[in-house]
Amino acid sequence: MLPTYCPSCHAQLKVECLKCESCGTEVNGSYDLPVLALLSEDDQQFILRFVKNSGSLKEMASQMKLSYPTVRNLLNDIIHKINSYETSL
Amino acid sequence: MKNKNVFGFLMNPFTRIAGWQAFGLGLFFVVLMGLLGAYSDIAFDGVIDMHMIDISLLQSFLYLGIDLVCLVVVMWITGLIVSTNFRFIDILGTMTLAKAPFLLLSIAGFFTATPDLSEIYKNPYIIFQSVSFVILIALSIPVIIWSITLMYNAFKISCDIKGSKLTVAFIIALLVSEALSKVLIYLFV
Repeated sequence: MLPTYCPSCHAQLKVECLKCESCGTEVNGSYDLPVLALLSEDDQQFILRFVKNSGSLKEMASQMKLSYPTVRNLLNDIIHKINSYETSL
Repeated sequence: MKNKNVFGFLMNPFTRIAGWQAFGLGLFFVVLMGLLGAYSDIAFDGVIDMHMIDISLLQSFLYLGIDLVCLVVVMWITGLIVSTNFRFIDILGTMTLAKAPFLLLSIAGFFTATPDLSEIYKNPYIIFQSVSFVILIALSIPVIIWSITLMYNAFKISCDIKGSKLTVAFIIALLVSEALSKVLIYLFV
């Protein structure tokens, strides 16, 4: 799991260096983490499952053995988090 | 750990079951309540209320029908006011299933000896002479608390509301639905 917050002061981390393992090239700068990367691992897995199920909450509920409104509420929570991350950027 | 899971499920089954599935299961319990209540003299004459009175099968089902309609409609309208997007079937299903604990009182009615009403009017304390009646009253308290807990969780999950907004909206809706059911039962049954 990619760390997204500073373990010392809990500020949001930025990407400073990306490295190519094939040729050794390093790309340095200061890049914001994508919004999706800021979500918890569970939330990211939820989004992946959402996409793989073509956005069908009914299918997801069946797979996750949860009720439809519970799955919809989880989606609403993620939407709320994404909106707050986008507002703070 | 397993006990905790079972307890958690009994207090909030709606993370697993809602919609038509909850409605089907809840309706089964409600029909059973109506049937048994008619023969055990337990009348559910309010959303979270019950009394021991001699009633017919039709009256038993009319009481329950009015209770359920009042509960669902008032919770639905309250949900429309405080929430943005939810399904009616989730409110219908979860609220119907939330009535299930009252089945225990329908069954307990068979083992309860009601003191003579005319004697109760003369001396109200006579009800304490019937041990089974006292047990029924004592049993009704945790059953009502359980049902209200289920209704609260049903409302919370169906409408996706949190915090003080949820608590205030739920309390008002419950009181209104109880009052409405009492009025409708008085007028039409």
